[in-house]
Amino acid sequence: MFVQQLINGLALGAVYALIALGYTMVYGILQLINFAHGEVYMLGAYLGIIVLGVLTYWGVTAYSLPVALLITVLVSMAFCAAYGAVIERVAYRPIRNASKLAPLISAVGMSIILQNFVMLSQGKEYKNLPPLLPSEGFSLFGANVSPVQMFILSASILIMVGLQFFVAKTRLGKAMRATSQDRIMAGLVGININQVISITFMIGSSLAAVAGVMVTLYYGVVHFFMGYLAGIKAFTAAVLGGIGSIPGAMLGGFMLGLIENFCASYISSVYKDAFAFLVLIITLIIRPAGLLGQKSVDKV
Amino acid sequence: MKKIISVSIIVMFIMTAFGCTHQDNNVIRIGAAGPMTGDQSKMGVDLRNAVELAVAEWNEKGGVLGKKIVLLAGDDQADPKQAVSIANKFINQKAVAVVGHWNSSCSLPASKYYNDANIVMISPATTNPQLTLQGFKRVFRVCGTDDQQGRVAADFVLSRLHPKRVAIIHDKTAYGQGLADYFKKALGDKVQVVYYGGIIQRDPDYKAVLTTIKENNPDVYFFGGIYPEAGRLVRQAKEVDLNIPMITGDGVFDPTFISIAGKSAEGTYVTFGKEPAGLSTAKTFIEKYRAKYGDPGPYSIYAYDAANIILSSIAETKSTDGGKIAEYISKTTFHGAFGDIAFDKNGDVTKAPYVIWQVKDGKFVEVP
Repeated sequence: MFVQQLINGLALGAVYALIALGYTMVYGILQLINFAHGEVYMLGAYLGIIVLGVLTYWGVTAYSLPVALLITVLVSMAFCAAYGAVIERVAYRPIRNASKLAPLISAVGMSIILQNFVMLSQGKEYKNLPPLLPSEGFSLFGANVSPVQMFILSASILIMVGLQFFVAKTRLGKAMRATSQDRIMAGLVGININQVISITFMIGSSLAAVAGVMVTLYYGVVHFFMGYLAGIKAFTAAVLGGIGSIPGAMLGGFMLGLIENFCASYISSVYKDAFAFLVLIITLIIRPAGLLGQKSVDKV
Repeated sequence: MKKIISVSIIVMFIMTAFGCTHQDNNVIRIGAAGPMTGDQSKMGVDLRNAVELAVAEWNEKGGVLGKKIVLLAGDDQADPKQAVSIANKFINQKAVAVVGHWNSSCSLPASKYYNDANIVMISPATTNPQLTLQGFKRVFRVCGTDDQQGRVAADFVLSRLHPKRVAIIHDKTAYGQGLADYFKKALGDKVQVVYYGGIIQRDPDYKAVLTTIKENNPDVYFFGGIYPEAGRLVRQAKEVDLNIPMITGDGVFDPTFISIAGKSAEGTYVTFGKEPAGLSTAKTFIEKYRAKYGDPGPYSIYAYDAANIILSSIAETKSTDGGKIAEYISKTTFHGAFGDIAFDKNGDVTKAPYVIWQVKDGKFVEVP
């Protein structure tokens, strides 16, 4: 059963990690906690259910499930990237140079707007997706690894490796790192900062969209309020790993998923959220910058 | 100039405030309270629709005591705090009686306010036994209670499923945990309870607790809670290879449960009242309801009966005094759509026929 809990925890952690990446990337570049990010994840989940519905209607799902899933993920990513870019343009860019509090409030406002927008347009009820993939997967040391869990783990690891490569090796990744180190200086050497920031938001949002589609497949229910708690958890994961650090967000996400699962199974299922936050507090006392975070040195 | 504008704005505000508090004394106000938004919203809307139907029928016949009946709808969002504020709103609006609330956790705190304000409260769905044990003379319910329900579930499990080991989970609410406790008590020491624990409402992931249950190797598991959580539980149970039947209470008796869980819902046992469609008295209600709102929810007929009990009692006593109405209700046998209803000294129905239902081919079927 330990293995089963491990796999459940890793699958949940992968989802947290994908959302946490969006938080950490935006924080790295703007020192802003994008509280609307959880809602982008929720939008991704809704888009997933809508696109899958349309594809099923057209018969694509019956023709080939992997093709349908791929189209769903891509469409949802594209839409959420657009949402991310628009959120940045509307809510953050006009007040980028204002005091730190203003964008934070703007973020909370954006989150409320998106939640209510989805509530009004899609309804307050749970939307359900019947299980598309079989629940029986392959057996690993007596644990059942379902196809959805395999999909979540493989896709998220692939995406994370890709993202790490993108940030470390490509020109755009370099521009991103430069902007995060010093926005004004990066602008002076000819980097289009607005574009880089937009792209950061788009990448973060499309990762949240992947997480949203995965969760839709995994749990089969979406709800307009689902982004709130997921957003808080992913934010916790980002802080746990060290906010601003991309490997940190991944580590934090997986750790949070595992902590929640093991606490729920071995200590108390009622207090699993409490334990997740307890671990966060302890980590922050010992390492204030998070597990992989760098101590911030005052720039002179 | 500025001053004139601000003064006129203030005057306008004051006028609208008067407009709000102005009460028409020539109507009788009946409240309907339940969760009308949020994830249990279907239940509150079902409740309100049924009360609305009853009120419309009475108004067609000319109202009650020569006055028109006005329905006040209150959305408690399944939140105890909100329920209290709805109760205060109804008190301020001078409601005579209230049909509601739906959740036990809402009915319990709200009942005190209604009773103190001389308002009759009939809950169509609150099954927590505590509601009518508080000594409130004006509080009634038309459904059964959780100790009856827990006993029926336990009897069924013991006599038909013959398990050796049982797991019990609940959603930590007044309803869910209460029901789970009554079930556990009714089981006695005849079987071994290998797991007892709570889950968090609205949490999407229950795999951890289900895996732990699997580890304890029970033959059946009981869930005290509402359908959104139950749907996710049975769905995820299949994913962690937990292939034992779930038995649960009336809060899960809704088609939404099956649509969330899909095929995984098959075989789930639910305790609920008898099928109303089989009763001749219920036929007209179901037809009328369907014509106006679509298929009635599991508790619509209870809410309809509760509204009719209130209105006929007002008509019979020729009074809008909560105390008088309550006294009449407690002494009378009513002929409702769901059959004859009479109340005992606490305000519970004298007979609460719980039966066992099972999900078969995507539908709830009564287990013979």
